[in-house]
Amino acid sequence: MDTSILYTHKPLVEKSKLGDRNAQYELYELYVDAMYNVSMRMMHIKEDAEDVVQDSFIEAFNNLSSFRYESTFGSWLKRIVINKSINQLKKKKIPIVPIESQMYHIKETPEEVPPKIDIKNIIKGIRLLPSGYQQIINLYLVEGYDHMEISEILGITASTSKSQYHRAKKKLIEIVRTL
Amino acid sequence: MDHFEKYIKENKALFDVYKADKSKLWANIESGLNNPKPKTKTVKLWSRPIFKVAATIVMALGLFSLVNILVVGEANQSTQNNLAWQELNDIDSHYKGLVAYQVRLVNKNTQLSSEEKKEFLSFMDELDIEYKLLKVELQKNVDSEQVLEAIVINYKKRIELIENLLEQINSSKNLNNDDAYTL
Repeated sequence: MDTSILYTHKPLVEKSKLGDRNAQYELYELYVDAMYNVSMRMMHIKEDAEDVVQDSFIEAFNNLSSFRYESTFGSWLKRIVINKSINQLKKKKIPIVPIESQMYHIKETPEEVPPKIDIKNIIKGIRLLPSGYQQIINLYLVEGYDHMEISEILGITASTSKSQYHRAKKKLIEIVRTL
Repeated sequence: MDHFEKYIKENKALFDVYKADKSKLWANIESGLNNPKPKTKTVKLWSRPIFKVAATIVMALGLFSLVNILVVGEANQSTQNNLAWQELNDIDSHYKGLVAYQVRLVNKNTQLSSEEKKEFLSFMDELDIEYKLLKVELQKNVDSEQVLEAIVINYKKRIELIENLLEQINSSKNLNNDDAYTL
């Protein structure tokens, strides 16, 4: 990653570290919609997503001193939102990983992808996936995490993440095709 | 990355379909935020040798100035006392002189009986005792204007008494003279 990207909004972050409420609000305004969407994709319920976003911003601002530009502020914050969302799902006993976790190797056959897909149908299709598949698809395809990162987030191995992702993707394509 | 994945990643922005209720969320967030506190850094100055030296110098200077203040203060106070005492002595000798002169006049007076003289002088002795007490009081509390004033009043009273006495003697003398004249 280009190091200059890591320091995006550095003045705002530094002021926020000192407790500058205006700077904190500016950062909030820049990121709140993105964070709310991240949480909504995982939680699906408005109130739950709002709670996660609120708690995440509070935790982020109150612990901003521990943020040392090892990632962008946005990705640091997003990780908090994702971790909180996962915790909430666990509390609600909603599976965050696919239930069938047999580790047999599945043959990777290239899926037949319809030539013209509407993004709206993909979004709809993801919603129709089992909960565990939804998380892995969201994390990998939409949030852009690699399997290593997903393994940390979900507490699984990177290879499980990889195999589950392929199954989820296969399932998603099947669903999208029917829409 | 296949076509499907690529297509999704390229259109990621379209997945953000929700809008957050910004003001409502912020109100809740703000209430949960720590109040800004001034950042205080602890710097261990004493751990560096240069600061040890600096601290020693500061301590030495502090002690020196403390001693200085005490000594100079005392000296100042004694100068002040000296001034007051000098002033007091001036007043004292002035009135003492006046009283002594008038007591001599009384003593010299031939018209007064020794008993009358004794009575008058015993009254003067009473005022003397009061004067001594006032002087002791003054030593305890040199700034007291009231004590100084009392000493002056004490002297004035003595002089007044003597003056009255002498006046009476003189008037009786005059009266006697007049009598002699008329007679």
